[in-house]
Amino acid sequence: MRRREFLAASAAAAATGLAGTRASAQAASWPDKPVKLILPYAPGGATDAIGRPWAEALSKAFGQQFVVENRGGAGGMIGTEAVAKAAPDGYTLLLTPNATLTVLPTLRKTPYDPVKSFAPIARVGDLVCGFVVHPSVGVKTMPELIAYAKKNPGKLVYGSAGLGTATQLRIEMLKWKTGVDILHVPYRGSADALNDLLPGTVQMMNEIVVLPHVKAGKLILLNINHSTRNPDFPDVPTLTELGIKDADVPIWYSILAPTGTPEDIIAKLNEKIVELAKTDDMKAKMRTINVEVPSQKPSEIADFIGVDTKRNAELIKAANIKLE
Amino acid sequence: MEDFFTNLGLGFSVAFTLKNLFWCFMGALIGTAIGVLPGVGPVATMALLLPVTYYLSPEGALIMLAGIYYGAQYGGSTTAILVNLPGEASSVATALDGYQMARQGRAGPALAICAIGSFIAGTIATCLIVLAAPPLTAMAQQFTPAAFFSLMVLGLVLAIVMASGSLLKAVGMILLGMLLGLIGTDVNTGNTRFTFGISDLFDGIGFVIVAMGVFGMAEIVGNIGNTERRDLLSSKVSHLYPTRDDMKRSSGPILRGTLLGSLLGVLPGAAATLSSFASYALEKRLSGVPAKFGTGMIEGVAGPESANNAAAQTSFIPMLTLGIPASPVMAMMIGGMMIHGIQPGPQVMQQKPALFWGLIVSMWLGNLMLLVLNLPLIGIWVKLLMVPYRLLAIAILFFCCIGVYSLNNLATEVHFMAFFGVLGYIFVKLRCEAAPLLLGFLLGPLMEVYMRRAMLLSRGDPYVFIDWNNQKLSLGFLIVSLVVVVVLVLLPNMRKAREVAFKEE
Repeated sequence: MRRREFLAASAAAAATGLAGTRASAQAASWPDKPVKLILPYAPGGATDAIGRPWAEALSKAFGQQFVVENRGGAGGMIGTEAVAKAAPDGYTLLLTPNATLTVLPTLRKTPYDPVKSFAPIARVGDLVCGFVVHPSVGVKTMPELIAYAKKNPGKLVYGSAGLGTATQLRIEMLKWKTGVDILHVPYRGSADALNDLLPGTVQMMNEIVVLPHVKAGKLILLNINHSTRNPDFPDVPTLTELGIKDADVPIWYSILAPTGTPEDIIAKLNEKIVELAKTDDMKAKMRTINVEVPSQKPSEIADFIGVDTKRNAELIKAANIKLE
Repeated sequence: MEDFFTNLGLGFSVAFTLKNLFWCFMGALIGTAIGVLPGVGPVATMALLLPVTYYLSPEGALIMLAGIYYGAQYGGSTTAILVNLPGEASSVATALDGYQMARQGRAGPALAICAIGSFIAGTIATCLIVLAAPPLTAMAQQFTPAAFFSLMVLGLVLAIVMASGSLLKAVGMILLGMLLGLIGTDVNTGNTRFTFGISDLFDGIGFVIVAMGVFGMAEIVGNIGNTERRDLLSSKVSHLYPTRDDMKRSSGPILRGTLLGSLLGVLPGAAATLSSFASYALEKRLSGVPAKFGTGMIEGVAGPESANNAAAQTSFIPMLTLGIPASPVMAMMIGGMMIHGIQPGPQVMQQKPALFWGLIVSMWLGNLMLLVLNLPLIGIWVKLLMVPYRLLAIAILFFCCIGVYSLNNLATEVHFMAFFGVLGYIFVKLRCEAAPLLLGFLLGPLMEVYMRRAMLLSRGDPYVFIDWNNQKLSLGFLIVSLVVVVVLVLLPNMRKAREVAFKEE
């Protein structure tokens, strides 16, 4: 018995040693087979629109296919969990908006830990949104909207893509910071909400896909949710410019690996992504979907996850948003 | 009218290039192929092919993606008819009489009428898009949450019409379907319901999983346990193509189905799916022999199949005119546009007229290709039924599992399908019909969402559903539902006729 234990122990030791050398060898030759890039949402949405150009660019840069795999479900939890539990060998990566990392864990018990389960690699895009209002309300600027909402508490209705999504959180932020009352109606996804916004059934939304409708004069853009203005709408101010502090938060996307992925691979990927983000081709691609790419080091992303989580938790508590 | 011809001319000049014709054909071909494979749906296929479209022109990419969609809609009815496997919600109604026709050796005419009906519906719906896209968009926007709720009520009433057996059982199945539909996360509160903490259930159970379980798998198990039933399948295949009488009986249903489908197709989500069920219920009502529906009536195939194809065409309207994806498939189309740097929205028609009209004309061409492609294939499909059932059954089960797995890459969902297979077998033994269950499953959760949304918007005032001034549509649907219920169920002589008809079976 004792002999068997000893054998098992030495076998385990040998295995660890072997795994160690294998890991470094892996990092040097990585990637020598296709890399799976998991997006935790159904195909066709914003995550897809950001993820696919990146998968294509990375495939070209590394000479190995980066295969997009959409694993939707449970508000992004299923796909995110899949990566958290995947082998940390650099061949399974996650591309996700901040929701699964800095919002969901405050609202629900998630089967992963946003900090401990992942090693951040790079920030790949900030989706710039804005608040839009239906012309039937009769307001044209943010101060007018706030004045209107103060005079008619609870009369305005906004639609969101669902509970706990950025489309809800940002308008709740506005309500909290300015003390106005706007009724929330949750939808299944923003397309669903847009169906009711265009005829004016609901009057307000925080969305990016509506910008063509703003250009067509069907909706009015009140502000930009970003630190800088949008070149397509140079006259529309940011929330900070409007005097509403700490509310200009974009939806930000990042690529992460499961914890334990060799440092070399992470560094290699980060370097390449930062380099690609500066190319005109990638800038143009992101520009058409209203995405900007800030460059960040892995350690900066880890810190930002903490900051964003705290900020969202504060808002979720103040606005009394509950899921379970 | 001059615009109409200029636009159409532009469309033809784009769609008729050799390259685009090729992509249109490829799309229709791939679509048919995956439609025939049970469970593998257009969404998964389009997602798989999105990276390929990088290398095409935007027109070619969208033409191919669209081709996959209507090809799949078409192919889906092939398995519905041959082996009772509706791979899409829209082919459930087709399976009801189509499969019975196949069992009587009339698979050929059933498949042919599908192809012909789909082509006619596609042609008319394409003309409608060209002529009336903006007014149809405006019509769709008249639908408030209250109106959608009432439309769903009407839909459930139709489910009662569809059922051919016991009324009580039909209502029971609808209710059970609605309960199953409630599994998942509540949109309004975020509560998870009936999920037992399993995260794979947080988004509910997919329609395809339930449909393939209660229809396909249950049928296979039923056939294996019953040699007589099984032999029916391969015996006495008569003529391959519809007779003159078949064509005559189908022409009315095809036109009515096209109209229903074109109108409902513009609405988002399950409203489009409703069109095939609505057409089936309508044909059953109009028929002189409603009791024979469910036993292999060609009207029950022609109507729903035309409706579903017309709806598939007009469902492009909100995507093209507003940039709103009414279904996951349309979301994929939008994804395809964004890959090419085109922002979907109302400006597409003005800024990219070649793309817009080219795509629309390609839809008609695609439908023509489907017809040419599929009429000769019918003979091969029918031969497929000659394959010994012990082999066919295994092949079907195998493809079902692959198909369901491909939805979300989840093995758990294959287990769910097996569960519904067992449930479906029990239903067969209890003589409970699965179609009302599926309609309840589809409409129940939507009804809840729309009802609560309407109530939220009215600040809790239930009057919103019958408000003559602001909610005429909602009131109208509710009145029609009431009339149908009264006429069908409560009038004693009708009820008697229904029961007699049931006993005759």
